[in-house]
Amino acid sequence: MRPDPFPDIVIRGKRMFATIAKLLVKRVLTAIPILLIVSALLFCILRILPVDPAAMSLPPNATVEEVEAMRTEMGLDRPLYEQYGIWLGKLLEGDVGRSIHFRQDVTSLIGSTLPATIELAVIAMVVATIFGLAGGLFLFYVRGTRAEAVMDFFSILLLSLPEFLWSLFLLLIFGVFFEVLPFTGRLSPGFERPVVTGFLLIDSLVTGNISTFFNALQHMILPCLALGIALSPSLMRVLRSSLLDAYQDDYIQQARLRGLSEKRILIRHGLKNAILPTLSLMGVQFGFLFGGTLLVEIIYSYPGMGNLMVDAIRNADLPIIQGAGLTYCIAVLVISIVVDSLYLILNPKLRVR
Amino acid sequence: MTFEIDRRNLLQMLGLAAVGGSVLSQATFAFAQGSDNVTIGWPSDVPSWDPNLRFVPDAQPIFKLVFDQPLDQAPDLKLVPNLITKWELQPDGLSMPFEIRSDVKFHNGDPMTMEDFKYTFVERIKSGLKLDIANSWRTLTDIEITSPTSGVMKFSAATPTAPQWLAFLGSYLVPKKYVESVGPEEFAKKPVGTGPYKLVDYQMNSRIVLERNNDYFGAKPKIKRVTIDIIKDPSARTAAIQSGQVDLTVNIPVREAERLGKTEGLTAEINPFTRLILLQMRNDMGFTDKAVRLAAHHAIDKAALSKAFYGGAAVPLSIPATPGTPGYIEDYKFSYDPELSKKLLADAGYTAEKPATFTLAATNGQFPSDFDIARALVQMWQKVGLKVELQQIEYSKYFELNRGGKLPEATLYSFDNATGDPEIFSGYLMNPKMPFGAWKGQEIGDKILKLFVEPVYEKRIAGYKDVAKEAVETGANIPILQSVQTLVRKKNLNYVKYGNAWVLGSTMSWS
Repeated sequence: MRPDPFPDIVIRGKRMFATIAKLLVKRVLTAIPILLIVSALLFCILRILPVDPAAMSLPPNATVEEVEAMRTEMGLDRPLYEQYGIWLGKLLEGDVGRSIHFRQDVTSLIGSTLPATIELAVIAMVVATIFGLAGGLFLFYVRGTRAEAVMDFFSILLLSLPEFLWSLFLLLIFGVFFEVLPFTGRLSPGFERPVVTGFLLIDSLVTGNISTFFNALQHMILPCLALGIALSPSLMRVLRSSLLDAYQDDYIQQARLRGLSEKRILIRHGLKNAILPTLSLMGVQFGFLFGGTLLVEIIYSYPGMGNLMVDAIRNADLPIIQGAGLTYCIAVLVISIVVDSLYLILNPKLRVR
Repeated sequence: MTFEIDRRNLLQMLGLAAVGGSVLSQATFAFAQGSDNVTIGWPSDVPSWDPNLRFVPDAQPIFKLVFDQPLDQAPDLKLVPNLITKWELQPDGLSMPFEIRSDVKFHNGDPMTMEDFKYTFVERIKSGLKLDIANSWRTLTDIEITSPTSGVMKFSAATPTAPQWLAFLGSYLVPKKYVESVGPEEFAKKPVGTGPYKLVDYQMNSRIVLERNNDYFGAKPKIKRVTIDIIKDPSARTAAIQSGQVDLTVNIPVREAERLGKTEGLTAEINPFTRLILLQMRNDMGFTDKAVRLAAHHAIDKAALSKAFYGGAAVPLSIPATPGTPGYIEDYKFSYDPELSKKLLADAGYTAEKPATFTLAATNGQFPSDFDIARALVQMWQKVGLKVELQQIEYSKYFELNRGGKLPEATLYSFDNATGDPEIFSGYLMNPKMPFGAWKGQEIGDKILKLFVEPVYEKRIAGYKDVAKEAVETGANIPILQSVQTLVRKKNLNYVKYGNAWVLGSTMSWS
């Protein structure tokens, strides 16, 4: 084992975890006012929009008087601050409200769709990470050659296409032209759908349903590729530029003088230092990814929260929009806490006493 | 620097390829077509499995597979017996004796009784549950049970469209005993109906799997298992039918339907149905002058709109009713005459320097080609000297804007009426007490309100024809086109075509 070069400066071991725990507590405390501000903004913006949830909650043959009565019942005739106060009070009791369109508890609707979106976002992030890291390493590897210019061109091309265009493109190529991959829903007809946690891949493994597992995985390939490919170019480019920066440092020259192979220098020294900005970007992108699955879920008929959100927007279903908005906000906060913790673990500079 | 493939790299790549190949090959995804199965690509899901809860026109063909309505509609939209075998609205419209079948069972084996009728249409509504059918049956005070298979519906006011509503939105029979024992939430999770299919699997916004109800009282469906894939994106629906992942789909762009119709093994239809595309009109601001409203109507080349956006299949309309429905006037035509438009404007004192101006609101994506039609209308109006500003609105904002009197002079709108009854066309559109119409002229409004309680069928229909004509001739309403449903299916899949665009798995068969 190599001796620790900075035993008195950098916090390590158990104390490192204590530092992380401290950070977690601090971030959770900071998250409370953020959530309050977001909830207030969300509430006010939605109430200012010229939509009529009362009319949308009634059938087409409702009279003007019935719409007015519904408006009163929903509290929409009260001052905005009063409406917010009532909503916040219920929220603190765990009651996010009842959907206008589906007439179900928003919590249960979000609870039943959230796992599908998390599963999609996590695997898409894995795809983006694989493509981003591999592409970034390759871009760096071929620097100064013609291949770099070609790869550069392709990375810009990838960057300029949004995920919904990727969705349609991949669907046409692999779903329609080659007919090798499914593109509707989470499972093919005829497959048993185990329900344990809501995460289909986990549930199928837990229940020992291997054919369902592979079928579910097949169904995830195209949406995850569409999301992942759209995110990967920025990771590639950041990693490449971080590696270029890292290679300017003395320790790389010293490693070469020590006779280490280029591959070992790249993986053990260059990448270890260059990965940190990429990790930050991944955290930011994962937040965007989580909230950005809407169109991809619609195109692939994926029953996640994005799909639910689109329904809610179409039907002016304010309780769902508010609930989903808050869920996205919580997800982004959680992701940023996880990324900060990882950053703290990976970057000793942040653990200096 | 060189890129070498050494033994380790090669093994790693082979490993990855093996995993990828195994994922691709482990499970077949295409559902094999067989005489027992059909997969339908449908554009929207049910809002809930409680069929009384919400009125969503696109969900009706799905509900009709699991539940039954007291009356049914034939493909030509005529009312036909279903759970109810006989009915007769009394001359005063205040009561309707009816008889029911005695051989109907719910999916859980419980027999259907008169108690279920009373529960669905009276007790459930009065229990305080927020059900949309409460609005359609607001005049129904009681169902008097006179024998195990007969009863009388009692109304607080004449309800001439009671029979139509027994076959319309949300009027599905639910089992009293089951709903009361499990509660409404559980009922929505595990619905029990009397319909030709039972729900066996449901994943919201993704898939509905139905299995034939072998105890069904009516004609047994030929297809054993119907899978409905909820595919909201039209491009994805197009891809799904083209790749064979579904056997039938609807509402894809007209051009795509025409293209797929030429593909081997597929056939495409563009079917007009009971949905209107019309202009909701105001009677004030830039439309105070009747001449401007009529000039705007005469300037619209409806046939050109149909050809440009619906392959010529959408029928140009002169009256707010669709062909084949009771309120339609066969020989009535409102002419396309741009010269007359110009003359009307000139006579009313409008010139190129002082043109008549107004705003047109339109949704973008609420129904096929809506915003494109709006743009074309603006161009047609410009040609006769009308200066029009186009404004995009969200459908969900329509009611709020209408309620607050903030809609502009004209709004492009689409209105669905599966019954075809004129009350739900002209009546709803021109009723000042309802939130649909922007027209607030009391003269037409009073006539409509009288027709809402007119119990004599012939008189009622004649009245609606007159008022619809009056609305068109005074510029209170500008009907444009009968909407179309595009449908693409495998050539050997047969189905029954309904005038209201219902596509029912229970009528399908393979040949």
